[in-house]
Amino acid sequence: MSQERIELNTSIPNLRDLKASDLSAYDAVYLGDIFCRLYEGNFLERPEDLRQGLRILRDRGKRAYVATYAAPRNDFLPRVRKSLEAAAASGADAVEVHNLGILKIAHDEFPGLPVHVGGFANVYTDAGVEVLRGFGAVRFTPNYELSLDEIREITATCGAPMELLVHGKMPLGISDYCFLLDYEGKWGVKCPDLCQKELFLKQGDWAMKSVGKGILSGKDVCMLEHLPRLLADGHRHFRIETVSESPAYRHEVAAVYRQAFAHAADGALEQDQGWWDVVRAHARNGLCNGFYFGKSGMDYAGIRPEAPGSFLTISPSTQ
Amino acid sequence: MATLLAPAGSPEAVQAALDAGADAVYVGLKGWSRGGARGELSWDELVTCQGRAASAGRELHLALNTIPKPEERARLFEAIPPLLDLGIRTLIVNDIGILHWLRRRFPALRLTASIGCGAQTVSDVAFFRDLGAGAVVLPGTVGPDEVREIRAVRGIAIEVMVHMVEEFILLGKCWMPSYVHLKPSPLQDGARAGATMEGADRGLRQTGSMKRGGVGACFKICQQPWNLFEGDRWVDTRFFPSRQVSRAAEVGAYVAAGADILKLQGRSLSPENLSLLVRGFRDVLDGRADVAARAGQPAALPASWTVVGR
Repeated sequence: MSQERIELNTSIPNLRDLKASDLSAYDAVYLGDIFCRLYEGNFLERPEDLRQGLRILRDRGKRAYVATYAAPRNDFLPRVRKSLEAAAASGADAVEVHNLGILKIAHDEFPGLPVHVGGFANVYTDAGVEVLRGFGAVRFTPNYELSLDEIREITATCGAPMELLVHGKMPLGISDYCFLLDYEGKWGVKCPDLCQKELFLKQGDWAMKSVGKGILSGKDVCMLEHLPRLLADGHRHFRIETVSESPAYRHEVAAVYRQAFAHAADGALEQDQGWWDVVRAHARNGLCNGFYFGKSGMDYAGIRPEAPGSFLTISPSTQ
Repeated sequence: MATLLAPAGSPEAVQAALDAGADAVYVGLKGWSRGGARGELSWDELVTCQGRAASAGRELHLALNTIPKPEERARLFEAIPPLLDLGIRTLIVNDIGILHWLRRRFPALRLTASIGCGAQTVSDVAFFRDLGAGAVVLPGTVGPDEVREIRAVRGIAIEVMVHMVEEFILLGKCWMPSYVHLKPSPLQDGARAGATMEGADRGLRQTGSMKRGGVGACFKICQQPWNLFEGDRWVDTRFFPSRQVSRAAEVGAYVAAGADILKLQGRSLSPENLSLLVRGFRDVLDGRADVAARAGQPAALPASWTVVGR
């Protein structure tokens, strides 16, 4: 097993949430909301906030990353360059890129900035990794649809460091439009307050979370009982996705995973019931494993049949 | 003058598109096309279509826009020399890795970055130019003013999908269907040998998506009515917004902005509907139609025509 230190990271959209968050369980933080320019206080629209956020992270001893927009248009690009300038000038440890044009800008104009490739960049194969490495990328979040077996094939071929979502709501799509604006008049709530509400789209037992231009899984991806497998596969960079969550979620779930990773790294297999109480309490629509086991993204494959949302049980011996 | 690039899902549709004035036609080859089983051609049908296009002095483009798994990649590469022998030079691809490998191995190919590659900006187009794409497809939601800015990137042709369905989620950025349900689909003949992916022993491909193909069906969950809840409280029942984009009235503006190719969506259209669509755009492009009168008119497409078989 690689001795490289485990990194647990998360995402925070604005200065308000950063200041309100206990980040003691994290090693690194991505700053900015990748979905919408109008998101309240978005770091990516406020270079001075971004600089302050980077300072705060450094002062707290955290690695500081800057996110970028997942689906920009031409008129986003001047602002993207401002964010990249702020990141470079403030000594950010990396930028996360979901868009290939922004990757080119980062590569051509900010060659000193390490680039992490995000989940919307559609890394499906080792061949894609090879291309992105040519543009300076050093870490990769594979497309969320890939199974752990497929991810392992990629890493076996090209040895690229991967970053995996281990907990939280998984991004499922991004739009040019915010349908929540339809409700400004009806609800008497204006943008950017609309997407601060906790909004879910449901049909039967399907649920997805709306953050305006972005759609996330309604269930929380939870890999708590599969951490030994992730470590055995050589992964060391893990995301708890909290861009649309409360500071309490951000802190409490991370504390669970920090303990669970320590146990898993020591080879301990037992799990603390208290961990499950915490993650269940924060999962309004239950838990899932995303696509990691080659099933539909809302399935849960595990040995915790009491996990909300679980309807698929697989033998622990197959883990 | 810009090229009018029409879709077709059958030899009859190819003929209809050519007769209606398409400068070029794009088709899919069975098993390698993201649209799934509908609208894909067998090899024999492809040979027929290429013959018809060549006889008319037009070009056939081929969508090879799945994202093959490593086990399937070799089979894709084996398929290329026969295509070149047939006279097909332009392939539409959907993945940067595949584009890169095809560029290196088959320099005679002209490669188009599919609309599923998600290009929308001047820097996206520059990226695909650097990668070796000969053309990049932009959605018709990118307007003429944006195309004018994008045209500053030289050395790559700009295609604009001027007639398309715009779903709520951007093309190439959606995995809502596979979140809800992942449907196994048959593997390619011969792909089982040596394959290790789950389900291969049963002749099934367990994983896939609208982005990488292979599922064969989008579950169209974006077109279902959804209940919107704030927390646990129901607040509305609604559909995701989607619309038919038809920019016939702005064809001249796109051409003036530097668009090289005007592309139409709809490989599942019948020859009759396709003929109407292509003829309409041909007339606009040639200045034979009252462009102003077409502004805002609904497209001549069946209401059922949606995601699958674009």
